[in-house]
Amino acid sequence: MKDDVCVRNLEKDFGGFKAINNLSLRVKHGEIYGLLGPNGAGKTTAIKILCGLLRPSSGEAYVLGTKVPDPGMASSVGYMPQELALYRNLTVHENLAFYGEVFGLSKREIETREQALLKLVDLEASKDLLIDQLSGGMQHRISLACTLLHQPRLLFLDEPTVGVDPDLRASFWRYFEGLRDAGITMLITTHYMDEARHCDRIGFMRDGRLIAEGSPRELLELTHTDSLEDAFLAYSGTEGVQ
Amino acid sequence: MKASRAFAVTKRVLRDLKNDRRQLALIFIAPLLVISIFGVAFTGNVKDVRVVVVNGDTAVGNSSISDKIISNFDTSVLNVAYANSESDALSQVQNGSASAVIVFPSNFTQSVVARASGQTSVAKENATITLLADKSNPNVSDPIIATVNTAVAQTIQGLGRQAPVSVDASNAIYGANAQFIDFFAPGILCIAVWQLTTLLTLISFVGERTSGTLSRLLASPLKESELVAGYAVAFGIIGTTQSAVLLTAAVILFHVTIVGDVLLAFGVIALLAVVSEGLGILLSSFARREAQAIQFLPIVVLPAFLLSGVFWPIQAIPTWLRPISYLIPVTYAVEAVRSVILRGWGLDKIYPDVVALLIFASVFLVLATLLLRKRE
Repeated sequence: MKDDVCVRNLEKDFGGFKAINNLSLRVKHGEIYGLLGPNGAGKTTAIKILCGLLRPSSGEAYVLGTKVPDPGMASSVGYMPQELALYRNLTVHENLAFYGEVFGLSKREIETREQALLKLVDLEASKDLLIDQLSGGMQHRISLACTLLHQPRLLFLDEPTVGVDPDLRASFWRYFEGLRDAGITMLITTHYMDEARHCDRIGFMRDGRLIAEGSPRELLELTHTDSLEDAFLAYSGTEGVQ
Repeated sequence: MKASRAFAVTKRVLRDLKNDRRQLALIFIAPLLVISIFGVAFTGNVKDVRVVVVNGDTAVGNSSISDKIISNFDTSVLNVAYANSESDALSQVQNGSASAVIVFPSNFTQSVVARASGQTSVAKENATITLLADKSNPNVSDPIIATVNTAVAQTIQGLGRQAPVSVDASNAIYGANAQFIDFFAPGILCIAVWQLTTLLTLISFVGERTSGTLSRLLASPLKESELVAGYAVAFGIIGTTQSAVLLTAAVILFHVTIVGDVLLAFGVIALLAVVSEGLGILLSSFARREAQAIQFLPIVVLPAFLLSGVFWPIQAIPTWLRPISYLIPVTYAVEAVRSVILRGWGLDKIYPDVVALLIFASVFLVLATLLLRKRE
């Protein structure tokens, strides 16, 4: 079976600075793939290329079988940027309705899906509140709802849990696991190493390239460590020696 | 390009505005305030200027020509005071309590009569009124000079002597009863739309960039052209509404004359709003934060304020600066709206201005669309 994401020898050069340096990775259908690494490792750049926001300098990337950038794949892909990406002067409903219309959903579709999503993130009562009136955690949940509204098959989630309290982080991972069980593929970036244990497979990223890849268990066993953080440091250390 | 997606953007922008009272106030109350201040304070007519007359004319009573001239002064412009000596009068100008000194020589009446009957032997100086004005402010000194000249001409006519040449300017081709506010109102409509639309699109687009909404949109089926078009329609609507409110206020408060087709004027203003929107989006590509965006403001506002013919006509701008005036879209909008409102011109006459605005709109919108993604 074809992989949902396939990246081969990808490079991205920002005027002399190599944000992505010979990156190759595959995300299988129906898995949660965690892209882990410190700030500046190139995770966000990689996701932006996969979403068609940036053009690769060289190499190629395929998303759902289509070479990016390709405007046609937008409706099957969900992208949650690192920022909240919500209109603060609009209500929860107005935000969802706007993104729904942009994705070409009908009024009825928007209404039924909005109801289901607000129930999922437990914010049914906040439908008519302005984004500005919500707490940070609530805003994060609405941001996720906006990403899911058009029922994408593949999700790119850029640091979805940054600035989110531990309780909410736990529920976010429950949502993600639920989505995976419903057959949705996810590529998630994070620099919180411990939460990556929820992923099916992990790629450690550093200086624009992948330094290790495997399931959380495999990575721990190979490095003889107890935490993914130590595992990352173990790989990161060998990189330094080379 | 799909209209429904562009329309979704339009709706989004208008909703944003509806929910933000501060922005609403900025759009409607600020320009109302400006038009009121200018309308009340700046009528363009100089009034109640104090001048000091030193009348040395020995002739008195009905036969005195100097007295007749003084009585013909337009007292709404000149507030006449008297002094006995020229030095006394001058000191009043020098201490700032008066703006001009008007001196009649001692045998003024006698000399005027003599020279009028052809006695060239009488010195010209004796029939000359000396006007010493504080010319540091031409806006004040010019009306003084004009008023004195008018009074002299009236007096001579009253004496039954016709000047050999006369100019009749009492019939107007356009703007028969135009006040300064009539000239100024179309300009303030345009400048308000220009300034606020550019500012609002600039700020909301920097917001779209920093808040991540633009990333979300660029990863959605929405095309850049649909986003820009959606904004254009929204700001066209906002600009037209704004100028409708302003124009209504100007008509009610200051009785601004409208002789032309108001809808045509609004059409031009809507077009100007689209031009401004394009510029705002374009400039947003060069600003990373809202604070940086604000720094563009003087560049957008000042040249338009000074060079686009809002306060004074393009003809009053030095020739070498005029090419810059014609690089500012507001110039064409002001010209067109003024011609429609004051002269009643139709599209057949203002089309060059409309074409210029269309060119600006296309260039700005295309560039804005291209720079939106900035795909490195």
